[in-house]
Amino acid sequence: MNQLLNPNQTVRTTTSGTACVVEQFLGGGGQGEVYRAQLAGQPVALKWYYPHQATAAQRALLENLIHSGAPDPRFLWPLELTEADGVAGYGYVMPLREPRFRGMVDLMKRRIEPTFAALTIAGRDLAHGFLQLHAKGLCYRDISFGNVFFDPQTGEVLICDNDNVSAVGTEANIQGTPRFMAPEVVRGETRPNAATDLFSLAVLLFYMFMMHHPLEGKKESAIRCLDAPAMQKLYGEEPIFIFDPDNESNRPERGLHDNALIYWPIYPAFFQQLFVQTFTKGMHKPDERVRESIWREAMIRLHDALIYCPACGAENFYDAQRMQRTGGALAPCWQCGQPVSPPPRMRLGREVVMLNYNTRLYPHHIDTNRRFDFSHPVAEITRHPANPAIWGLKNVSAEKWVTIPVGGSAQDVLPGRTVTLVSGTRIQFGTIEGDIRV
Amino acid sequence: MVRPGGELATRPLHFIWLLDCSGSMTGNKIGTLNHAIREAIPHMRRVADDNPNASVLVRAITFSSGAKWHITHPTPIDQFTWNDVQAGGVTDMGRALLLVADEFQHLGERGLPPVLVLISDGQPTDDFNRGLEALMAQPWGKKAVRIAIGVGQDTDMDVLQKFIGNPEMTPLQANNVETLVNYIKWASTVVLQAASAPPSQPVDPTTISTTNVPIPMPATPDPNVSDVW
Repeated sequence: MNQLLNPNQTVRTTTSGTACVVEQFLGGGGQGEVYRAQLAGQPVALKWYYPHQATAAQRALLENLIHSGAPDPRFLWPLELTEADGVAGYGYVMPLREPRFRGMVDLMKRRIEPTFAALTIAGRDLAHGFLQLHAKGLCYRDISFGNVFFDPQTGEVLICDNDNVSAVGTEANIQGTPRFMAPEVVRGETRPNAATDLFSLAVLLFYMFMMHHPLEGKKESAIRCLDAPAMQKLYGEEPIFIFDPDNESNRPERGLHDNALIYWPIYPAFFQQLFVQTFTKGMHKPDERVRESIWREAMIRLHDALIYCPACGAENFYDAQRMQRTGGALAPCWQCGQPVSPPPRMRLGREVVMLNYNTRLYPHHIDTNRRFDFSHPVAEITRHPANPAIWGLKNVSAEKWVTIPVGGSAQDVLPGRTVTLVSGTRIQFGTIEGDIRV
Repeated sequence: MVRPGGELATRPLHFIWLLDCSGSMTGNKIGTLNHAIREAIPHMRRVADDNPNASVLVRAITFSSGAKWHITHPTPIDQFTWNDVQAGGVTDMGRALLLVADEFQHLGERGLPPVLVLISDGQPTDDFNRGLEALMAQPWGKKAVRIAIGVGQDTDMDVLQKFIGNPEMTPLQANNVETLVNYIKWASTVVLQAASAPPSQPVDPTTISTTNVPIPMPATPDPNVSDVW
C-alpha cells in the first residue's frame, strides 16, 4: 500500500503545535487517507489529503468548520488542522469512531441485525443531526451509506466525513454519491444544496427501513446493464417512486425487489406517507420534500407505535389509520401471521404511546417545554410486585404526578410510586395529561 | 428473526481477467503477473465487501497457442483463489476475445457492466480483429468496461487501444514490477467499484466521462523508474 503517513510519524496541529503521533492506517477514500493517532494522550482520527486534493479552498473550508464547531455531538467534526515536516499538504484531527458504531453497508448486508426500535432511534437521531446542521446554515451535500454509522444495539448515530460541509449557497467540489443524489443533481441542473440533502436523507432512511432503493422497481428490472446512462435515466431523467399511489409503472417486482414488498406493509400509513410525499410531489418540487423536523417527529411516533406480537414476540406497529379503516383490526404479525391486538396505550396530547412491557416515557412525552429530550426516562412500565398480572406505570422522575381514576378522586403519584394501568385512568404530568386505554 | 427480508438486492458483476501467457511472458513477467493477481485478491474482497449493490463474480482466460478458461466458473470473490498461470506458446489474443464473446451470449438478463482486464506483452498472432468484432457484436461486450495493461515496451499498444475502443482512455503501460502490481490493483478495485457502486463524485474529476462507466484513472508512474523487464 502506498500510504501518505507512516506509523510513529509525528504531525503537528497548526494552531497549538501539539504533537499528533500516527498509529495505524484505517482506510483511504477519494480525498485522502484516515489514520488512528494519539493527540496529547487521546486517541483521535487523523485525515490526510492526497496532494492534489489538499487545495487552498478545502483548507479554508476546514478552517471555517473548525471555527464554527460541530452542530451536534453526533458529528465527528474536524477539531484542528495538522501539518508535517517533509509531507505535502495537510490534514485534520477529529474524534475517533468507536468500534460499536457500524456502517450502513453492514446493515444492507445483514451483518448486523438491529431491532425496529433501534432503527427508529437511529432515524430520529439522523434527522435531528441534519436538522441541527441545516439550522446553522450549513449543507452536507453527500449523505450516503459511507458517511453514517450507528450502534445496532442502541440506535445511536455518528455522522462522518464532514469535509464537504459548508454554508448553504457556497459551491463545493462535490456532486454527491450516485443512487443518493436528488434527480435535479443527477440531471446536472444544480449542485447539492439543503433541499437535495433532504432527498438524500429520505433515500438513506428508505434504505434503512425498507432495505431497498425507493426508485428501483419495474423500471430497474427492465434495464439489462445498469451503467451510467441507465442510472442517469433511472435516478435522474425518469425517477418514479416504487409506491407512487398515482403511478403504478414502477412497482417493485417479486423475486427482484422482495425487501420493498415485505417491509412497506409493515409500517403505519403515516410513516409511508412521508416517503410518498418526498418521492412524488417532492421528486420535482424540492420544497415539498419532508423536512428533518417532520422526520424526527415521525421516527419518535414510529418508536411509540411499536408493539410485540403476543404469539411470537416480533416487533409490529400500531396503525390508528388502519384500525379506523378496517373497523379495529391491525395487520397480522409479519413473522407468524397471527392476529396482533394493541397493548395498553396512552394518549398524550396528539400522540399515542404503546405501553409495552419495556416502554419508557421521556421528558419529550410529558413536558411541552422539553420536546426531543430523551436523556433520562421519567416513567417506565412495571409489574405489581405481589401480582405480576397487574401492570403499572412507575414514576421514575423527580416530579410528582396526579392521577384521576375513572369515577374516583385525584391522587398524588410521588416519585417511585406506580399507577395501575386501567382503562380511563388519567395522569397529569404537569403540562400534559395522559389518558390510559387498555 | 429480528426483522424480515434478506440482504439488499444485488446485480451480478462479471470480472474477467484476459491474460497473455505467451512464451515471451516467461520468467519475471509471468511471476510478477501471478504475484500481482494474488496481491489484488484481498483488495478486491474488501471492495466487494464494502459494496452492497454488486455480487462480484471473477473468472480468468489465458491465451497463448489458443485460448482457454483458466477459471471457468464465475466465482464469488470471497471464494476466489488463484492458481498460477504458466507461459509458453504464441499470442492468440483474438481467440480469447472469441471465448468472451461466446460467454457473453449467455450472461443473463440483468447485471452491472462486466469488467474485462486484458494484460499482454506482445502482438496478437491470430486474427485479433475477428475476435474484437465478435465481442463488440454482443450487447454485453459493448457495455463492458474494457481495461488494457501492456507489460513492457514490446507491447502492441495500438491493439490494446483498439480493444478499449475509446480514444479518451488509453492502455496503461507497466514497465516495472511495482507499476504492474499497482495497475492490476487499480483495475481490480477502483474499476470494480466504478462499475458497481460509483463512489462520491467530485465535480471536476480526472475521470473519463464519455464512456458508460466513468472511471477515475490511476496515477501515472514515475518515468525515471528503471525498466526491469
